[in-house]
Amino acid sequence: MSGASANLRGGWALVKATWASWMEHRGFFYLVAFSWMIPLLIYMFIWSTAAGEGTVGGLTRGDLASYYVVLILVNQLTFSTNNWTVGDAIRYGRFNFLLLRPLSPVYDALASEVAVKVVFMTFALPLAAILALLLRARFDLSLANSLAFLPALLLAWALRWLWGYWLALLSFWATRADALLSLQESLIFLLAGQVAPVVLLPGPMQAAATILPFRYMVSFPVEILTGQLSSSDLGIGFALQVGWLFVALALFVVLWRAGLRRYSAVGG
Amino acid sequence: MYHLRLVGQFARASVQNELAYRANFWISLLHSSLGLITGVLGLVVVFGQVETIRGWDLPSTLALLGVYQILAALRGLFIGPSLEALAGMDGEIWTGNFDFTLLRPVDAQFLASVRHWRPFALIDLVLGLGVLVAAVYQLATALSPLRLVAFLLTSLAAVTILYALQLAFSALTLWNPGFLFTWVLDGLFNMARYPVGLYPGWLRIVLTWLVPVGIMTTVPAQALTGTLPPGTLAGSLGAALVLLLAASALFRFGLRRYASASS
Repeated sequence: MSGASANLRGGWALVKATWASWMEHRGFFYLVAFSWMIPLLIYMFIWSTAAGEGTVGGLTRGDLASYYVVLILVNQLTFSTNNWTVGDAIRYGRFNFLLLRPLSPVYDALASEVAVKVVFMTFALPLAAILALLLRARFDLSLANSLAFLPALLLAWALRWLWGYWLALLSFWATRADALLSLQESLIFLLAGQVAPVVLLPGPMQAAATILPFRYMVSFPVEILTGQLSSSDLGIGFALQVGWLFVALALFVVLWRAGLRRYSAVGG
Repeated sequence: MYHLRLVGQFARASVQNELAYRANFWISLLHSSLGLITGVLGLVVVFGQVETIRGWDLPSTLALLGVYQILAALRGLFIGPSLEALAGMDGEIWTGNFDFTLLRPVDAQFLASVRHWRPFALIDLVLGLGVLVAAVYQLATALSPLRLVAFLLTSLAAVTILYALQLAFSALTLWNPGFLFTWVLDGLFNMARYPVGLYPGWLRIVLTWLVPVGIMTTVPAQALTGTLPPGTLAGSLGAALVLLLAASALFRFGLRRYASASS
């Protein structure tokens, strides 16, 4: 077990192997990507119909289209698959094999992560381009916003990934964490800029969206890129995003240690 | 009679199966309630910004959501589970177990359509009816008996179309066993949550004529609110009949092609 966490070469080999094997089943993953997109597509259409030739809450149809096109891409990029790659591994006892490798199981989840995101992008990018053309999305990007977008996107991905990982670790204790997951899905749908851009939400929902972590997993970078945020909102947003990332990290570490001690290979 | 008795037996076996996992009731209840709450809140958000979109206001869109919820419940009750066991992930066509189904002395389409029941789907049915009744109370105009009849007839057409679509998409799996066609239908069916009028023109055409998920909820909701365009009632009944026959033909045609899962 020497240097399990520093085995970078082994980790990279795993990433490549996983990616190759996932690409082989890309038909299946395109379907999964398609079904993740549907709710966003629906609301994209509804809002652009609602805006018509005027505006909704100060946003034109072109603004809403560009917001949702970027949101679809960001959602695909940050979507956490840890419930299947980690949660199911624990539930079905496959985790035993991962623990026996001279390589931290985190690499396995990361390998799946890279693999799935590359496969999804080969589907989502062309589709987003077509949608942007069909709905006449209007992008006016500023350099400052584009520069702020990248760290926000990276943090959003890290937050959603770690958040998904600690949720998946709950499988050490409860063999079914479905209830919590479906609650989380609903909250992401309502508060992470999916049902509507956060600026269009009614007061109480907007406040909840600002405080809770879900917006910082998906729509925060999109709001930056499409120029919906003032510079003070931007600062507060980054602070909250980093804060939640630390909370997720702490939960991950605590649950990982306690869980491994408790783990006794269900059905392995 | 024989067929009805079979359905009864299948339903009973499924109920016994489900009752072994009673905690699932609470999970199903939570799932269904969350789905409904997010659906309603979604509408509240949209109609908090605009009064009406293309003639649809909050109560009429809510009525449509109720219709959708009821249809989804019926789909979850037996149409979905049965055909998903046939054509879904690790389904019979995928694994080759379909051979044993074909050997049974009952019509294959009948058997494939009614085998599995999910009693917890009745939760969705109750919730859907609740939304529908609440929406009808908020409608601007009172409900007349004539409208109710039109609503029931168009709903009958809707259920028929839903079954026909699920059957057709399952039948396609017989040509290409590796692709989950029913998942595509799942995605498109989600679009029936909202009136087809809210979608852009090209998509409206797809959802009305190509994969008529739109007719399933928009038309009954229009019947309820009294905004049904003339001829739509007869049109949807006709479309339901044509689709049912076409889907059954497709399924039979696929069966003749079926050569088991092994090489």
